[in-house]
Amino acid sequence: MKTNMKDLNVKRIISEQKALSALIVIAIFMLILKPSFFSGFNILTILKSASVLMIIGFGEALVIISGGVDLSVGGIMCLSGVVIIRLMDTMPMPAALLLAVGSGALVGFINGFLSVHQKTEPFVITLGMGLALTGICLQLSGGRPIYASKASFGAFGNSSLLGVPTLIWCMLAVMAIMYYLIRYTQFGRSCYAIGGDYEIAVYSGINALKIQWSAYVISGILAALGGVLLSSRLNSGSATYGGPTALYVCCCVVLGGTSFSGGTGGMIRTAIGILLFSTLDNALPMFSAFSANVYLQQLIKGALVVIVVGIEYYSKKLKRERV
Amino acid sequence: METETKTKKSALNRIVYKILNEYLVVVGIILFAVFTMIMEPNFMTVSNMGNLMRQFGPLAFVSLGMTFIILAGYIDLSIAGMFSLVSAVSISQANQYGAGRAILVGLLIGLAAGLINSLLLLLFGVQNSAGALFITYGMSLIYGALALMYSNGATIHLKDGVSGLEALGKGAVGIVPISFILFLALLALLFFLQSKTYIGRSVSYTGGNPVASRLSGIPVKRVTLLIFSLCGLMTAVGAIVLFSRVTSSGPTEGTGYDTNSIMAVVIGGTSLKGGKGNVLRTVVGVAVVTLMSNCLNLLGVSSYMQDFTKGIIMILAIWLDNRSGMMGGAAVED
Repeated sequence: MKTNMKDLNVKRIISEQKALSALIVIAIFMLILKPSFFSGFNILTILKSASVLMIIGFGEALVIISGGVDLSVGGIMCLSGVVIIRLMDTMPMPAALLLAVGSGALVGFINGFLSVHQKTEPFVITLGMGLALTGICLQLSGGRPIYASKASFGAFGNSSLLGVPTLIWCMLAVMAIMYYLIRYTQFGRSCYAIGGDYEIAVYSGINALKIQWSAYVISGILAALGGVLLSSRLNSGSATYGGPTALYVCCCVVLGGTSFSGGTGGMIRTAIGILLFSTLDNALPMFSAFSANVYLQQLIKGALVVIVVGIEYYSKKLKRERV
Repeated sequence: METETKTKKSALNRIVYKILNEYLVVVGIILFAVFTMIMEPNFMTVSNMGNLMRQFGPLAFVSLGMTFIILAGYIDLSIAGMFSLVSAVSISQANQYGAGRAILVGLLIGLAAGLINSLLLLLFGVQNSAGALFITYGMSLIYGALALMYSNGATIHLKDGVSGLEALGKGAVGIVPISFILFLALLALLFFLQSKTYIGRSVSYTGGNPVASRLSGIPVKRVTLLIFSLCGLMTAVGAIVLFSRVTSSGPTEGTGYDTNSIMAVVIGGTSLKGGKGNVLRTVVGVAVVTLMSNCLNLLGVSSYMQDFTKGIIMILAIWLDNRSGMMGGAAVED
C-alpha cells in the first residue's frame, strides 16, 4: 500500500514536472557516462550561459501567464545592448544604463498599448515590433558588431563574486524579485486570474488593462536588462544577437510547464525550462558523435520540444477521453 | 428635400465607412504606390512590373498554404525548416537528374513533412494554435537540422541548363513571368477548393468553432490532414520557384518565411483566431509586403531602415485594420 502511494507520487511529479524529469534523466546519464560534467566549473558555466535567457524568460513568462505573448524580446535585447554601448561614450555609465533599460520599458509600453489597450493580436504586433527594432539596431550599429569603449563594462559581465559569476547573481536577484511578485502580491495573483479567465477576472473587479499592460512593460525592462548583461559578457553589441531569441525563449517557458494559453506556470518552472536547453547545449558536445555534428544537436532539441509538448497534450487528451 | 440630401449624405458616409472598414489596407497600399510613382518614375516601367511579379513568388505560395492553417485556427512554424529542406534536396536532385525529378521529389518532401506535422498533432490531440505553434516549432528545428545535414551547411548552386527550372525561374509570356501564371492558377484552384467544396468550407467552420464543428459531424481530422499537407505542398512550390529564380540555395534558405507568411495573411485581414478570412485577402497581404519592399528599394531607403519601415508599416496596417473593425462595429450599432 505504501509503495503504491509512492508510485503515484512519482507518477504525479513526472507528469507535472516534465522539464525537471528530463533534466534529471540527462543528469543521471551524464553521471554514468561523463562524470566530468559535474565539476563545479562546468555547472557554473551552464548557469552563466543560461542566465541572460533566464532573465528574459522571467519577463516572457509573466506576459504569457497574464494571457499575452511578447515576441519582441529578441529585438529589445539587441536594442538595449547597442544603446548602452553607443551612449557610454557621451554620458556616465548609470545614465546610459538607465536609458538602455528605459528603451526596453518604452517598447514594452508601446507593445502594451497596441495589444492590450487597442486589442490587436499580440502575436503579430510584437513580431512586427521585433522586426522594426532589428532595423533600428542595424542602423545604430552600422550593421556590424560594435565594441564597448570602456574596459570596465566588459569586465563586469565576466567578473565573479564569491566564486560565482556576477551574471548568475543578477539572474538570482531577478528570479527572487519575480518569484515574490508573482506569488505574494496582488499583482501576481491578478496575472494568474486574467490569464485563467479574462471575463471572470474583469467581473470580479480586476483592472485587466493595467495588469496586462504592466506585464508587457516588465517584460520589456527585463529583456533590456538581459540585453545589457549579454553585451557586457560579450563586450559588444550587435543586431544579429536577437534573431530567433523570442521564439526560443517562449518555447523554453512552455517546456518548463507554463501554459501558453495563460493562467498557469511560474518562475522556477521557467528557469528549469531554460536550464534544460542550456544543459543540452553543454552536455551534447561532450560526446564525439555530437561534437562532430552540430546539426544533430539541433535535431535532438527539436525532437525534445515535440516530445515534451506532445506528452503534455497527449495526457490532456487521455483525460478528456476518460471523462 | 432636406431629408433626401440627408439620406444621400448618410449613404455616402456608409460607402466611405465600408471602404475604410473592409479595404483600408488596400487604400493605404494604393496611396503608397502612387507616392512612389510620383517620386520615382522608374516604378511604372515594364521591367519593374516584371520584377514585381517575380518578387511576388515564394512568399505568395507559402502564404496561400498558411491561409488555410490560420483559417482552421492552427499555426505552422515548421515552414522555415520545410522550405530549407525542400530547397536543399530538390536543388541537388535537379543537378543530378534534371527538372522533372527535382520538382517531384521537392513536392513529395513538402507533402510528407506536412503529413507528419498533421499526424503528430492528431496523435497528441492538439486542437489549438498554441499547441500547434510549439509542435511545429520543434518540427522546424528537426527539418532545418536535416537540411543542414544534407547540404553540410554549404550553399548549393543550380547548374546551368536545367531547362524546366530555367523556364520556371526566368521564363515569361510577354511581361508576365511563368511563376506568376503558376501563382494565378494555384490561386484559382485554392479559391475554388476553399469556397466551393465541402472540405474547403469545413476549414473555416473548424476554425470558427472546433467543438461545434466536431459535434455537427464536420470531418475535423480530415481537415487537419488536408491543411497541413497543403501547406507543405505550397511551401515546396515556393522553395522550388525561389531556387529556380536565384539558382542557388543556402542551408537556412527558409528563415523568415514562417513569420513573414503569418504577417502577410494577417495583414490581408484573416483573423489569427481562425474562421474568418480567405485566400484572396492573403493576396492583398502579400501584395502589401511585396510592393512595400519594391517601393522602399526604388526610393533608395537603406536596407537597415527597410527592416524598420517594414516593421512599423506592418504594425500600423494591423493596428488600423483592427481599429476600423472596431469602428465598423460601432457604426452597425448606431
